[in-house]
Amino acid sequence: MVKKIVLMTVILSMMMSIVGCGGGASTGNNTNDSSTNSETDNKDSSNKGESYETVVYSYATFNNIPSNDALSSVEEEINKITRERIGVEVELMPINITEYGQKVSLALQGGEQIDIFESLGDFNTSVSAKMAYDITELVDQYAVETKELIGEEILAAVTKEGSLYGIPTYKPYALTPMVIYKQEIADELNLDMSQVKSIEDLTDVLRTVKDAYPDMTPLVPVSPGDSGIYRTVEEIDFLSDDYLSPKGVLQGDSLTVVDFYALPEFMEKAGLARQWYQENLILQDAATTTSTAQELMASNNSFCYIASYSYPEEDTAASLSSQMGTKVGAKRIGEAYLDTSSISALTWMVSSMSDVPEAAVKFLNLTFTDPDVVNLLIYGIEGRDYVLDENGQALYPEGEDATTVPYTAQISVGTLGNFFIMHPSQGTNEESLAWEQEQNQIAKKSPAMGFTFDSSAVKTEYTAVSNVINQYLAVISTGSVDPVTAVPDFIEKLDSAGMNAIIAEKQGQLDQWLENKE
Amino acid sequence: MINKNERTKKERIKKRKELANTSSLLVIALPGIIYLLINNYLPMFGVFLAFKDYNYIDGVFKSPWNGLKNFEYLFKQDAFMIIRNTLLYNLTFIVLGTIVAISLAILMHELGSSKRVKFFQSSLLLPNLFSWVVVGFIGFAFLNSDTGFINNTVIELFGLEKVAWYSEAKYWPVILTLVYLWKMMGFHSIIYMASIAGIDQGIYEAAQIDGASKWVQIKSITLPMLKPTIVILSLMAVGRIFYSDFGLFYQVPMNSGAIFETTQTIDTYVYRGLMELNDVGMSAAAGLYQSLVGFIVVITANAIVRKVNNENALF
Repeated sequence: MVKKIVLMTVILSMMMSIVGCGGGASTGNNTNDSSTNSETDNKDSSNKGESYETVVYSYATFNNIPSNDALSSVEEEINKITRERIGVEVELMPINITEYGQKVSLALQGGEQIDIFESLGDFNTSVSAKMAYDITELVDQYAVETKELIGEEILAAVTKEGSLYGIPTYKPYALTPMVIYKQEIADELNLDMSQVKSIEDLTDVLRTVKDAYPDMTPLVPVSPGDSGIYRTVEEIDFLSDDYLSPKGVLQGDSLTVVDFYALPEFMEKAGLARQWYQENLILQDAATTTSTAQELMASNNSFCYIASYSYPEEDTAASLSSQMGTKVGAKRIGEAYLDTSSISALTWMVSSMSDVPEAAVKFLNLTFTDPDVVNLLIYGIEGRDYVLDENGQALYPEGEDATTVPYTAQISVGTLGNFFIMHPSQGTNEESLAWEQEQNQIAKKSPAMGFTFDSSAVKTEYTAVSNVINQYLAVISTGSVDPVTAVPDFIEKLDSAGMNAIIAEKQGQLDQWLENKE
Repeated sequence: MINKNERTKKERIKKRKELANTSSLLVIALPGIIYLLINNYLPMFGVFLAFKDYNYIDGVFKSPWNGLKNFEYLFKQDAFMIIRNTLLYNLTFIVLGTIVAISLAILMHELGSSKRVKFFQSSLLLPNLFSWVVVGFIGFAFLNSDTGFINNTVIELFGLEKVAWYSEAKYWPVILTLVYLWKMMGFHSIIYMASIAGIDQGIYEAAQIDGASKWVQIKSITLPMLKPTIVILSLMAVGRIFYSDFGLFYQVPMNSGAIFETTQTIDTYVYRGLMELNDVGMSAAAGLYQSLVGFIVVITANAIVRKVNNENALF
């Protein structure tokens, strides 16, 4: 009997270790990594003798994670400023963008110290899960400059029931749908892109390209399953939903919450996508390809994609050209529209479990007001990680690039602190900065600006509806299915998944909010 | 009195001897046991999270109770489809997997122990070492509708119409089963090969003298001797019947919405549904639900096995 049990255990544990390696490895290793990181960092700072409060600043980076040495050298530079100005030391915790949300929430659950973190479109859930500290009073005390800089109107987007839960990154907020195309082909075929004013105008351009290059698929998706066309439905307030997965929305000046997919405009755009699909104008695998627009554009058989950017046409084109290695142009095909989520999507929050909330807010204030701090965070140390050209614009030292300098977070530009006080990166048009700041003011704003939706009452419905959207949105938006039958199916499935409960809950909260506002 | 004392003493000695015999085995198993405790038993205490409305300030213990609300979403709308998919795939995998693994093991064993057997073994095991992401892309290279291998060679050869594999749900039960078999069979067959190697050669020799053909030997010696292993492995697989291999069902279909009808399982449903909400309580509820059903199923299956043949039961 004992033998049998022992044998069983051996087999079991063998099986387990194999199964375990496959499944749990990814999350398990990650937490280990970050905990060892912070341990060594803690040691570093405790050796310095003097005692300051330490703030852990966790940010998402699109670049490589720098080595510990490079990181502590930047930390040290920042600390020189912060010790003097606010009596605080900072510990940087860059996390790769793809695993940022998961890592931060795991770390906070595990009781690891993270004092400042950012939302990547999930501001709302962070607040309803009580991850964010109520900083209303702290901001008045320690971050007055930031509050003035950003302004009440924008801060309203991250205020819930009178409590301020974060500070949105100060950057161009207004996203405008644009078509990004290869300049070379447009010149060669004498395409007048300035005449493309809406997505409907694009069809003829795509056809011309297709005629000239029959082997080419002119339009590629911006990200898997996202042809970009439903972004061109105008004046939509997503009411706190992820804009890649809209649910109940407001349209224009109306204050009635509606199902996004039941809008006639959605059907229209879906029909357009289908037409493109049938004429072979859009990548046939658009719904499932895992390549990004940048990769697809780098190949020779594509012409353009549709995406939303917050910079002027010229700047967008310049910055994308350098990233893609081929000259591209950008043309706006819609108007900018500001709603609460376009602001709260990137919000800096203080962790509700932070032991040093005052110090955290003081440091946050610096990231919005002190150019040196922001430049250190984004570009690293001058001379080593970047140099300035004669116009004061940042570029990599000669012979170096993003992968060889010890520290850089350049691609995260515009996600942390104040975008307008950093060194502009090379090729930026100075006038654009003014234009962008102006856009923040003049872009059309949703009537529900400042309203945030709390989804906790309809969580069950949210999961079911998210799954239905996952199933249909990509194939409809890329034209892979016939919208005449697919859209009604889609709407019907959404209804039975509880879309109406979500809309009703949204409407209820919105009415309540409007009432309180008056 | 003396008698009784002596008996307990004897028993104690006997027990000690047994322990001495098995202690080396226990030591070998120790890392596994410790792993099992840390990885599978320690987290169990968090099971009550499934009944809580988790928030970060109150933490694990103080978050308010939530009744069965966290479980509701598992029984909404698509519940039938995802449970059907999970169960049917797992049953197929258990049945087909066992058959294929045993056939492979027997074939390998019959080849003896030459170099080519080593080669076959290694190449059969190779897919098992790939990550699902890689397997997903190998699949994509085959099935991609524009540049995929199948559409450009096989389909063309037969002069058929190109198939948009990633948007036709009906093909996926076959595709997923094939991919699963290709990836997992090498590993499974190794377990059976080890069992076959343990069968006394004398039995085969005796059978040969009696004039038994290879086929009869397999049917009447190998298979009956493998029965305990088959039962143990199947019972363990049955215990996980409510789980699905996340990599297989998420990576291989390339997250294509059009084929959810046949590729959505409980794990992928939970993952996709909670991506946006990131809700701790609801994820815990899904885990508890899966393991509870798995537990009930495995207990029932074991009871049935015990009724039929006590020797083969797990416990």
